[in-house]
Amino acid sequence: MTDTREITLTVNGTEHTIEVEPRQLLVHAIREELDLTGTHIGCDTGNCGACTVLRDGEPIKSCLMFATQADGSDLMTVEGMEDLPEAGGELHPLQEGFREEHGLQCGYCTPGMIMAGKALLDENPNPSEADIREAISGNLCRCTGYQNIVRSIEYAAEELEHGEIAAADGGVAIDADANADGEFDCGVENCCGGPAAEGDGDGDRGSDPASRGERR
Amino acid sequence: MKAAQFEQHEPETVEEAVSLLESLDDRAILAGGQSMVPMLRFRLAVPETVIDINQIDALDYLEEDNDWLRIGALARHADVEHADVIQEKYGSFADAAPLVADPQIRNRGTVAGAVAQADPKGDWGSVLLAHEGEVVAHGPDGERTIPADEFFLLPYDTTLDENELLTELRVPTPAAHEGSAYHKLKRKVGDYAMAGSAARLVLDDDGRIERAGIGLTAVDITNVRATDAEDHLEGERPGSDLFKRAGELAAEQSNPESDEHGDAGYKERMVNVLTQRALGDAAERAGLVKRRVTQ
Repeated sequence: MTDTREITLTVNGTEHTIEVEPRQLLVHAIREELDLTGTHIGCDTGNCGACTVLRDGEPIKSCLMFATQADGSDLMTVEGMEDLPEAGGELHPLQEGFREEHGLQCGYCTPGMIMAGKALLDENPNPSEADIREAISGNLCRCTGYQNIVRSIEYAAEELEHGEIAAADGGVAIDADANADGEFDCGVENCCGGPAAEGDGDGDRGSDPASRGERR
Repeated sequence: MKAAQFEQHEPETVEEAVSLLESLDDRAILAGGQSMVPMLRFRLAVPETVIDINQIDALDYLEEDNDWLRIGALARHADVEHADVIQEKYGSFADAAPLVADPQIRNRGTVAGAVAQADPKGDWGSVLLAHEGEVVAHGPDGERTIPADEFFLLPYDTTLDENELLTELRVPTPAAHEGSAYHKLKRKVGDYAMAGSAARLVLDDDGRIERAGIGLTAVDITNVRATDAEDHLEGERPGSDLFKRAGELAAEQSNPESDEHGDAGYKERMVNVLTQRALGDAAERAGLVKRRVTQ
């Protein structure tokens, strides 16, 4: 009864041909047809950005597009991050950054944040804090852990900048950088990011969605 | 929720799209989809057919000729945001683009689609009104142009005919001494405007205001022009007292509703302030005015 259509998606470098209904959203095709469940569905309304993927290099919300509209596209999801050359066969510097800087709490928004961060660093390898906040402005973190998400992306930017050096001496630079950033290690404030963290000295920088708004 | 089943068409030319509009009864046009896709999936719109115009490559342009800045129906917000010609010459567009929604949505959503959607809280309608722009539509009888101030009827309702496709937005290329700006108040990134004001000033060689255009966002049932303020400005020299009065007149002519973001009186005061700021920036960008006008 239902009409389906055959579409071809290249996802993380692998070409897939699948049958979809015209009404099927891209995010559902990615999760349900391709079993790539790293891309999350958070809100149903296009607000949260958890479903952010790169389409031909640009970040888009895969819940605001039908799968048929992506026919022929080159997509990248969070699962593709560790296959990038910068990852060196392990975690990509962005993923490493989220681990080192406690950029994830419940983790639900993380795939979208990482893809938004990837899009930013592809365009602008040396982003300011304001650039980072703008780049993730379409992504909500309900744990309100924005401070550490920004730090995670800053970490990745630095790591990528020093990537060549790290590669040259076999990756030792990663440990060195982690030590250099010791002030952000697993301290109580940064670890849980709860109200206690917001009450401290730089809590007024706005870690909740309402106050992180206009920064231009 | 999933969208209801629909039949999908992907025309590759404007003519094909128009003939589909003519031959099909219950249909929706899908462009950037950043409003339409949620409407479909929440079943606020349940069309039998969706006409996806994204394959009409001829509508994907942003260009300037001698007379007009032309924005094709498939130009995305991000295209406007990053275009050199916009940054150099169209201040209000350059101001408004990065204030629309968020980066991901700007990569997909179209400027023309936002205008066709005719949400009174949309930014582009005000910019189009301030510039005395036009909407170009294609229908069974060919092309017609609709002046921006005859386009918006009601929330989500325009003077487009049922069988017409909006194909282009256009605004006149700037005069020798012209400047424009857009100011918007919103609670946070991604929100629609609580209030917004677009201003365009054309000065004569003597430095007097020859033409003034002001478009307001989110303070009436559609995007509206602040005609009383425009009339007050024309023939005068730019200045803070003049702009102050224009801000008051714009506020008086606006009809905001009280809601969770603020009461009507507050929004009127915001219209006043935002209009003054937009006029100040527009005057500065028009040249002939040395210092930014402050309120």
